[in-house]
Formats: sequence, structure tokens, C-alpha cells
Amino acid sequence: MYFEIDPKVREDKGLSLLREETHRFAEEVIRPAARELDRMSDPEQVIAKDSPYWDVLKQMKKLGYHRIFIDPDYGGLGVNATEAHIILEELGWGSVGLTTAIGVDQIAPAVASLFAMGDVIEKIVKPWVEDTEAKYHGCWGVTEPECGSDYIMACEESFLPHVKELHPGEVRADEDGDGWVINGPKSSWISSAPTATHVGLHVTLPPHDSLANGAFCIVPLDQEGVTKGKPVDKLGLRDDPQGDITFDNVHIPDDYMLIRPPFYEFRIGQIICTTSCFMGTVFTGLARAAFEEALEYSKNRVQEGKPLCEHQLVKQKLYKMFEKVESSRCYTRKIMEHVWEKTYIERTFDASSRHALSAQIYGKRSAFEVAYEALQIFGGYGLTKDFLIEKLFRDARAGLIEDGTTEVLGLAAAYNIVQEC
Amino acid sequence: MAIFPSREWVEAVLQAAEKSEKYKEAAKDWEGDFLSIIEGDEEFVRDLSRREGMEGFISFLDMMPLEARRKYNGTPMGDVFEKKLGVPLDSPADKFSIDEMLSMVSKLSVEDLKGACTYFWSDFWHGSVRAMKPVAPGEHEDATFKLSGKYSAWKLMVSGKQDTIRLVMSNKLKLEGDMSYVMKHMKAVVALTKEVFAGVPID
Repeated sequence: MYFEIDPKVREDKGLSLLREETHRFAEEVIRPAARELDRMSDPEQVIAKDSPYWDVLKQMKKLGYHRIFIDPDYGGLGVNATEAHIILEELGWGSVGLTTAIGVDQIAPAVASLFAMGDVIEKIVKPWVEDTEAKYHGCWGVTEPECGSDYIMACEESFLPHVKELHPGEVRADEDGDGWVINGPKSSWISSAPTATHVGLHVTLPPHDSLANGAFCIVPLDQEGVTKGKPVDKLGLRDDPQGDITFDNVHIPDDYMLIRPPFYEFRIGQIICTTSCFMGTVFTGLARAAFEEALEYSKNRVQEGKPLCEHQLVKQKLYKMFEKVESSRCYTRKIMEHVWEKTYIERTFDASSRHALSAQIYGKRSAFEVAYEALQIFGGYGLTKDFLIEKLFRDARAGLIEDGTTEVLGLAAAYNIVQEC
Repeated sequence: MAIFPSREWVEAVLQAAEKSEKYKEAAKDWEGDFLSIIEGDEEFVRDLSRREGMEGFISFLDMMPLEARRKYNGTPMGDVFEKKLGVPLDSPADKFSIDEMLSMVSKLSVEDLKGACTYFWSDFWHGSVRAMKPVAPGEHEDATFKLSGKYSAWKLMVSGKQDTIRLVMSNKLKLEGDMSYVMKHMKAVVALTKEVFAGVPID
């Protein structure tokens, strides 16, 4: 069913093979596990030691998917932007939730691999990239109880003149001897927090007057003073366990402070550029999955003596869905290539945030619109647990909130557009 | 192979910048001078204890006029030369006895180097390096940017083994000045390390 429109990609046998292999893994391993996790009534079952969550995570690590965003000089997978996009779309096709787990896993070691030296490389990055047993698992601590998606706004350089209008932040780091001590709560929406061994953490620094006066650090979560909340029971992305983390006098060495002033203020948005491309791409995978489910169903389900796809209203819906999937792939891939160039090739860390944010918004919105129409084509059966489409719809709906609401992401992009264009 | 810092290294860097079209293009919009501050450390002592290292460093200092070198007197770096190596920094070049200084440098400890800094100033302007030279303490304090750090961190940067951004982010080098300007001209910063500094291998 899949047709690659870009001839450079279509005619490259290596890329075709990469897609086929990743797709097979997504179809045979990720999707069945994701459905099983999704149906667990208690989120504690999702994170239990015998949960399929761990089997999938280990297999993803064995395949090297936890090294996509790591600097190749420090053990990264060494893929280019197109290859990364192909892998992530296929994984997202299998499950956005489980792909999020392998995405947030690598945020802290990826940042460390790009910017750190010495102990952090030896103690964190090297064992992390070599790990195939999920002994290391990362999460990304951004939002806080008093400051949700707004935290993303603070990462947009164009918003800096207004940043003091926001809450000044609850998780604080203060100097303590030759290291730092961390206090405060992160919100309930930290993906993989219940399962993670480490967190890539956003903190504010003295005098704690602004989210822009911040830093990004890596914190091992097995320390005294770290408290994790229960995994949240939620509507969608149920295979992506989320929960809160609270820090009470938690110490880290100075080396673990990976991005600090003045770089934090001016460059933390580059992390958001990378995560935005990631989200836009995996939700493109979800959009495609929903489209394929609807197309297949519409060819087999007969109403009024003919398959659904022979009814003009359904045909029209299928076309619109196709258009959204294809445009989402083209757009997110192009912007992934731009961000990749600025991050891993030129290393100037000056990717266009308005484009990256719009890739995330476009991918998520396309996924929701496609999943909405797909469910509509299924009719009443789409509401039952018998078909995958209801999970895709719930996951797509959750996506409009996770990693920053689309409204706030759009507002951040708008500040950049008004200032830079 | 050049010694860092030395007269030979400065001349080679100026040549590399002049020849590099990639650097000229990347830095075509850059306007701003740098005051660089190199702090002495263990690696500095080790390099000074090698004849080539000592000769290179003396040649670097010799690029300054006597009046400028005189301003080091009474500073920690001036004290290292006058009290530990037996030659005040404002001595004429022919007064520097490399053999005698090498025999004394072995007694030098990291503690002796506390606060001992060497300063050099570089003027980058629209893709060219208009000046690069050692300067006296207090000179060019009004430079657009200041970059300071231990000698070992500087060597990592000028050898091209580590990029400037990683060194600054990991606190090995400290950058002061208008950061938003630097961020908008990251291409120039990256090209200076990759295309110019890395093009001059150091020993």
C-alpha cells in the first residue's frame, strides 16, 4: 500500500530495506504489545517487571533505536535525517506510546553526547549506548504542576522578553559544594517517569526569578530524595506510562549540569526543535496507520450492496485522509532534515524553531483529523474494542496535549514568526 | 606541528584564516574582538618543561613590546617567571636562558601557577582576522567578548579535538559578552575551530 513519492528515497535499496525491516518490527512486535498494554485496566500493570513494555524496550535497544539522536562520535546510530525519519514513522505506525518511550529515553544522553565531556561521557553516555537490556531508561522532566505547556513557551527565544509573565518554576537547583542540590515537583505528565532510571531535567537557577534563568541536567533517579508518583490512568497513549517526580534535596555532581546559562536561555529551544520533529514524524506514522485501517475496512465492509469505499462520501473522506498523511510525511521529513543539518552536521544549533514547532503541530493535527475521519468510516464498530481504530483515535487525541498543547506550541511558533519574518 | 601558544602558531593561524574560503563565508557578518585568557595548569607546566614548549612560549611573549611585558610584573604570571624561573618577563629576549629555565621548571608546581594567566587578543572582522597577538594584563578589557579557561582546555579547542561550544557548555571555557550575538553567528564560531584552528596542528 505504501508508495514513496521521493524518487531518491524510493530508488535507494538500503532505505527500502530499512523501512521494510522497521515496519516488520513495528507490525510484529510493537503493535501487538501496544494493544496489550493499552487494554490493561491498571497502569501499574504496564510498568510491572513482567510487562511487555520491558520486552519491547529491550528489543528496541538491541536494534539500536535508543541511539538515533546520540552523537555518532559517542556511540550514536549514525543515521542521517531521512533514515531517522523512516525509522520513526514506522515505529509511530506501530505505536506512538512505545515510540515515545524510546524517544524520551535518549534525550538526556543525546544532549550529553553533544555538549558534555569527561565523567558524564564515561559514566552515562557510554554505558547507555551499550545497554541492550534496558538497564538505563530515560525520561524528560519539563512541565510542572504550576506551569504546564507554558514551560515550552519559555524555551522559545522570541518569547524571552515576556518570560517573566510566566510562573518562575518549581524545580530549583542551587549550588551545593562541588555540585548541585535539586528541590521541587515535576508534573504528572512526564512520559516514562514511572519506568525511568534517569531524567533529563529542566531546573531554574538562583535567584529563581524566571524559567529562562534555567539549566538542563541529568539526574539518576535511584537516589534518596527522589519520589515517583503512581502512573496516570488516562484516555490515550496508555502504553506510554506517565507520572510525576518530586525532588527533595537530591544531589548531582557539577558535570551533570549539561546546559547552563547563558546557553540555556538562548539554545534550550533547540532541544524542542529535535523533539518537535520526532513528535511530528511519529504522529505521521499514526496518521498513516489510521488511514490504512480505514481504507482496508472500507474495501471489505458492505453497505447498501457495495463496499463502503464505493460510496462517494467515503471516497471523499479517504482522499482527504490520504492528502493529510502524504503532506505530513513530506513536511515533517523536510524539517527533520533541516534540524538534523543544524544539530548533527553543521553543529550551529540554530534550527528554525517556527518550522520545527509547526512540524510537530502539523503531524499531530493530521493524525487527529485522519483518525477522526477513519473512526467515522468505521461507524459504530469504530467505537468498539474489536478494532484498532479506537486506540489510534484516543492516542491521536492525547497527542494534541502531550509534549505541549498544539495551541501553546503554535503560540510559541507565532512569537518566532512575528520576530524573525 | 606548531607549539601553542607561539609566534609560529599565531602566524600559521593567520595564514589559515586567510586561506580558508569556508571560514570567510561563515564569518562574513561577524564583527567583534576577543580577549582570550589562558590560565596555567598542570599541562602548561608539562609543556613548559619541554624545550620546544618553553621556546614556543617565549617566542609568543616576545611578540609583545617590552612595555607590555613589563605590565606582567607583579602578576602571578610575572611572579612565575621572575621568582620561579629566574627571569623577569620584561627581560630582553637574549636574557632568556632556555637551559636554565628548563632546569628550574621541574620545581614548578600547580600551586605556583595559581592565578597565572596569559592574555591574547584577536580581532575578527567580516571573515578576516585583523589581529592576533599577546597583550598585557588590563589591555583590551573592553573587548566585545572574553574567553577564559585553563591551558588544557584551550589546547583541546585550538587542536580541533573539541569544539568551542562543547568546551563552553561543559564549563571548561567561560565566555562573556553578548551571547545572543554569538548564538546568531554560530557558523562563524564553528568555522573558526573547524576550518582555522584545526588546520594548524599543534604539538
